[in-house]
Amino acid sequence: MKFSVNRLVFLDKLRTVQLAISSKTTIPILTGVKIEVSQEGIKLTGSNADISIEAFLETTDDAAQLVIEETGSLVLQPARFFADIVNKLPDETFSFATQDSFQAIIKSATSSFKIHGIDADNYPYLPDMDEHLAFKLPVQLLKQVIQQTVHSVSPHETRPILTGVKFDIGGGKLKAVSTDSHRLSQRQVSVAEIDHVEYSVVIPGTSLNELVKILDDELEEVSVIVVENQILFMTEDTYLYSRLLEGNYPKTDQLIPTETNTQITLNIAALRGAVERASLLSHAGKNNIVTLNVAEGILRLTGQSSEVGSVVEDIPYISMTGDPIEISFNPDYLKQALQTFVGNDVTIEFISSLRPFIVLPAAAANRVDFVQLITPIRTR
Amino acid sequence: MEYSLLKFKEPKRRTDRKILHIDMDAFYASVEIRENEKLRHLPVIIGPDPRENGGHGVVATASYVARQYGVHSAMSAEEALRKCPEGIFIRPNFERYRQISHQIHDIFKEYTSVIQPLALDEAYLDVTHNRINEKSAIKIGRQIQYEIYDKLQLTSSVGVSYNKFLAKVASDYHKPAGFTVITPDQAEIFLLDLPIEAFIGVGTKTKEKMVELEIKTGRDLLAWTQVELAATFGKFGRTLYKRVRGIDDRPVVTHHVRKSLGKEKTYIHEMKTDKEILGQLQKMSQDVYASLKKDGLHGKTVVLKYRYRNFDTYTRRKTCFEYIASDSELFLHVMNLWREFGDVTRGVRLLGVTISTLDPIYYENIPLDLHM
Repeated sequence: MKFSVNRLVFLDKLRTVQLAISSKTTIPILTGVKIEVSQEGIKLTGSNADISIEAFLETTDDAAQLVIEETGSLVLQPARFFADIVNKLPDETFSFATQDSFQAIIKSATSSFKIHGIDADNYPYLPDMDEHLAFKLPVQLLKQVIQQTVHSVSPHETRPILTGVKFDIGGGKLKAVSTDSHRLSQRQVSVAEIDHVEYSVVIPGTSLNELVKILDDELEEVSVIVVENQILFMTEDTYLYSRLLEGNYPKTDQLIPTETNTQITLNIAALRGAVERASLLSHAGKNNIVTLNVAEGILRLTGQSSEVGSVVEDIPYISMTGDPIEISFNPDYLKQALQTFVGNDVTIEFISSLRPFIVLPAAAANRVDFVQLITPIRTR
Repeated sequence: MEYSLLKFKEPKRRTDRKILHIDMDAFYASVEIRENEKLRHLPVIIGPDPRENGGHGVVATASYVARQYGVHSAMSAEEALRKCPEGIFIRPNFERYRQISHQIHDIFKEYTSVIQPLALDEAYLDVTHNRINEKSAIKIGRQIQYEIYDKLQLTSSVGVSYNKFLAKVASDYHKPAGFTVITPDQAEIFLLDLPIEAFIGVGTKTKEKMVELEIKTGRDLLAWTQVELAATFGKFGRTLYKRVRGIDDRPVVTHHVRKSLGKEKTYIHEMKTDKEILGQLQKMSQDVYASLKKDGLHGKTVVLKYRYRNFDTYTRRKTCFEYIASDSELFLHVMNLWREFGDVTRGVRLLGVTISTLDPIYYENIPLDLHM
């Protein structure tokens, strides 16, 4: 194997596959990156048990300055070490060549490294996916749907299925739901391209976070293939394979309230500012709680810490209807929920102090397309 | 004190508080004697009789008669028997002692709400502001001491001063049925001649070091600078520097915050099967969870303790993300810990289950009803 390439273009690809490489794996070879060189270009692979990423660099890409002299493959381990070397090389380009017994020679201007590699045959194979099954999703919309739901997945392995976002794909609609049992996010969008398919899958939140990083905003579409327990997202130069979570996702439709007794519409920035300030004190306390009071035309948020003191925030609003209410909740849930809205204003609907409340885009047509639900905290 | 570039002011003495330390005299033994007059002049030892159980156990309390034989609390029951062959061993009845302790606290509460119990038989009371509007802490101390004796026929020793340290030193100074007052004017003189082991926190180890350094009394201690004490005894050195000057600003803390709740049991016959062990652990988990619930607490950390026949003792813990919500969940964690770390072939003679990282159930984040 022998090639030379633009250093920064190569480094960018290497950083992409590094997203899937963990230093804490029980399978040593997975700390490495697999480099495969064919006449068409270079393929880099990084993987852990849950996610694999392949990145391609083609000879037709002018910016890559890629010249291939000899094909072959090698694993360099750990990948981070290799990336650090490439990052520090002195010249705009570098050359990479293998020698006997899996040695790699990396040269750039006056610098020359000799690195011990591993036979690429030892690297695990990624599954073959039938490309005929692929359907397409618009990148911007998919990213938005992920970013509006992924924060509500559970970080705990006690109920593994809740660590993922449930996607229902088909009938011209893409619906995503996530919950950690104290909050729930739901987003549903129309996508004409998925009229003919029907899938229901639970994708790990960690995979979705990496997917968002590799989906470039300039891309129009991403191709998706679902097989039994895996999902593959394909763009022109990057493939991301993810494990799917197995098991039954709880039914959530009936959890979203269909009635309300108190309704407030207000500016997101004003509310977020108040929540962030109140949480300065709630975070200092043992119990991360703020209390919202709606009464006599005043919307008041309070937070306290027995060590530090207390805070009162009177929040301006656009409209307020219904019964007075006092409700306590975790301010971080509301803050994260507010970050997912794109407009200026939101509507919050309450039923009672001990029932979940929901945050909707202001003037939302329904409580289905975009809902952030938060459960309250019972205080005694 | 100087610390590199920084200079600190000398600590100030605060004398505006009125603190009592009330210590029941040989509490458990006195309760038993009160309930059985025949024991009055006999050496009563609260603890398991080593002749009956093969020599396990320690002395919880000894009556003043038993103390004359050299028997004291925390001594092994076997040693107590050697020192006092005619000693009368009585198994402790903690339920009863707790009941009487409540009655004593009811008396305290007539005078103040600022009460810090240290055990069933001793407590600090802050009577600076009190319910009977009495300015004299000495009068209050006398009244409480008398009322305890009058209502419960039990004697106590009372210390009166302006901080917790001095109040405790005072109640220890004269026992049983003692009453010692240390006023702000007397404090420094009183401390000069106080033997070093009477300073709270000076255990056997520190005392050895003190003896080596020829510190025998408060007077010797007073000669040391704060920097020297801190360098020799660490953080405790700084505390000592203040104590010997009659300074202790610790408040009387009303709510004792429980950090853990648990149960352990020693088995005379070692257990050799998983079935026996898990059976015991299940029962303990239920008991511990029930007590936790009763106290209005919930916790996140599960601790399993076990001792093998060769006395090797281990504790293994697991901290969960959420509060443990049922006895079966607690048992599940305990069982997993045992399965992961325990070795049944080594013979088990002690088991313990504890929950820590406790919080009061003031707050409950209501979960969604997620049916799988």
